[in-house]
Amino acid sequence: MHAILALAVKDLRQLLRDRANAFFTFGFPLLLAIFFGVIFGGAGGGGSGIAVVVVDQDSGDGAARLIADMQADSALTVTLMQDRAEGEAMVRRGKATACIVIPDGFTAAVATILTGGSMRIEMVVDPSRRAAAGLLTGKMNELGFRQFGRVMGDTDSMLAAVGGAKERVLASEQTDPVTKGLMSMMFDSIANVARRANAPAGNDGDPAGGGGLADWRPVDVVVRELKDESVRPRSSYEISFTQGVVWGLMGCVTAFGLSMAFERSRGTLLRLSVAPITKAHILAGKAISCFAACMAVQILLLAMGVLVFGVRVDSPMKLGAAFGAASAGFTGVMMLLAGLSKSEGAGAGMGRAVVLVLAMIGGGTVPLFFLPQFMQTASKISPFTWATLAIEGAVWRGHSWAEMGLALGVLGAFGLVGFVVGTACLKWTHAS
Amino acid sequence: MLKLDSLVKRFGAVTAVDGLSLEVSRAEVFGLLGPNGAGKSTTIGMCVGVIAPDSGRVTLDGVGPPTEPRVRASLGVAPQALAVYDDLSGWENIEFFGRLYGLRGRELKARVGAVLDIVGLTPRANDRVQGYSGGMKRRLNLAAALVHRPPMLLLDEPTAGVDPQSRNNILDLVRTLAQQGITIVYTTHYMEEASRLCDRVAIMDHGRILAIGTVPQLVAGHGGKSVVTVVRAQGEERTETDEPLHVITRAAGEGGVLGLRIDRPDLESVFLSLTGRSLRD
Ligand SMILES: Nc1ncnc2c1ncn2[C@@H]1O[C@H](COP(=O)(O)OP(=O)(O)OP(=O)(O)O)[C@@H](O)[C@H]1O
Ligand SMILES: [Mg+2]
Repeated sequence: MHAILALAVKDLRQLLRDRANAFFTFGFPLLLAIFFGVIFGGAGGGGSGIAVVVVDQDSGDGAARLIADMQADSALTVTLMQDRAEGEAMVRRGKATACIVIPDGFTAAVATILTGGSMRIEMVVDPSRRAAAGLLTGKMNELGFRQFGRVMGDTDSMLAAVGGAKERVLASEQTDPVTKGLMSMMFDSIANVARRANAPAGNDGDPAGGGGLADWRPVDVVVRELKDESVRPRSSYEISFTQGVVWGLMGCVTAFGLSMAFERSRGTLLRLSVAPITKAHILAGKAISCFAACMAVQILLLAMGVLVFGVRVDSPMKLGAAFGAASAGFTGVMMLLAGLSKSEGAGAGMGRAVVLVLAMIGGGTVPLFFLPQFMQTASKISPFTWATLAIEGAVWRGHSWAEMGLALGVLGAFGLVGFVVGTACLKWTHAS
Repeated sequence: MLKLDSLVKRFGAVTAVDGLSLEVSRAEVFGLLGPNGAGKSTTIGMCVGVIAPDSGRVTLDGVGPPTEPRVRASLGVAPQALAVYDDLSGWENIEFFGRLYGLRGRELKARVGAVLDIVGLTPRANDRVQGYSGGMKRRLNLAAALVHRPPMLLLDEPTAGVDPQSRNNILDLVRTLAQQGITIVYTTHYMEEASRLCDRVAIMDHGRILAIGTVPQLVAGHGGKSVVTVVRAQGEERTETDEPLHVITRAAGEGGVLGLRIDRPDLESVFLSLTGRSLRD
């Protein structure tokens, strides 16, 4: 054990002494984490909803109520603006998904809905965000219906609407007198129903009041989001620091994986074999130092994220498990790299390239959940993907142990298989 | 102390060591002298258990083959290829190797300090090896072999790439170690080193031992005669002889001698007579 520790300490020392390695293991990942965190916009990666600009040209109660409903809706982030052109400019600059214009006469139109009038809302959308625009249309319909419900719920508006409708029917010339009589009776009954239904709630027109028609919704869509998808990172740093971890792990894997090839061609590996230790000692030393470096990188980066960039960790216990599994997994990957890189030169370059690509698709460049579906599937071959999933599971995805299990297991398997295959392929002497 | 028994090692078509047998006794300085590619390093590799012989056997001190870690603990090895870590300081390097051999604590510290002192690197102990000269790295490589006080040392060309002064230091050091009773196997292609240091020398070529014995024995057996060159006004006169003194006395009696030179046979002549080639070509 003493010898193994000596080997591990030696390797860690070497890692820290080699400026390039130390930078790619610790400095570079931190810079990337900060960089990605800043460009993806600090706090509120997805939790803030669709950004819309609202221009109120109506200034009536109806418009005010609609705006209040929009502001209360968690799916929307509303910015009020006076000028329509200004609002459209916001959309053009990508600051908002849509500019919603409530035209003059909106409040008046609300009163006519019973007789076939309609509430008109204009929406100017960013063509590059069609999906969001579609969502928004649905959202506005839902909110529109709510205004309709309000009209029905408010006795005065209801009476006014019914009265207006009756007058228009009576005045119509195309309608025969019998129909006029029947329609007029129907409108009177509706007015009676409205008066009675809203009476207990308070006579002076509390629109939300009682068990009246205020809650009436023609289509009641109950939306329940899947837990998994509803959980979003609280800030972009929660993603970018995981990305940083990916690069840190990559730094460790390449540094240690190639150090074996390096020692072999330099002759120090042979020198170690001359000492009274076994090959198992040498392998264990490498593995322990790589494991320790992986742990250190992860802890340092996340600690930086937590202390300086406000990253919050849902479950420190699970994060510890994720770190451990990732370190074990990448120690295996390191052994595989060490076993497969026959020389310092071409072989090592190839190994480095493969690890780089795996890191890139495994969450190092584009966060996993931004990847198109087929890429998400393809990226499953990368151990970095599983490390990302495990860490995200503990930091913001709120995964249960059962949900983390797969990622932890896959990482463990990478560790085991990598270690076995890597040591089997490892060449000890410098064959020419 | 060390016994090699009909060792054979092939690398593909090359037979690096071809049926080599020898025995090194305790406290002996044993030289392996041979040109590049003779198979010296391969032999050392088999002695320390990192190269597996195709056939034959190595036994150490009667305890077993050096493939067992326990047996290797009594060996100090300075490989021909410098095996030190550039990123670490001289001190850290030796400390690391000391730990591999089970040293620790105060003893480790004392030993590291002592061997660095022996090889004259104390002033540079805390500098990274990166900045060492070739000769300094060579001395550090040697220090790493000494740190655990092995009773047996295998030094593979320990003076390669070293300036004459450092080389003298290293040769003196080896002498001192030998006086302390350490058994030493020393490979070189410098016949001066072999004759200056070694109690016995094996002359190697193409993986085989051509001759083995003390330097005087080898010279007497294979070196041929001395050559006396007498310079006179009318020219030089060369005489091969076993009794150079007779030739000189006779020449002096004849008179008119302007100069005299005696070329005594050495290991170089031994190699020449055994292979028909010079050691360094
Ligand atoms: N790993 C190897 N693979 C292939 N051939 C090898 C290997 N090691 C040694 N050889 C060959 O074996 C022969 C003996 O090599 P060795 O290194 O033992 O010679 P040496 O006497 O130490 O030479 P030098 O004085 O140059 O160090 C050489 O022909 C060399 O090319
Ligand atoms: Mg050699």
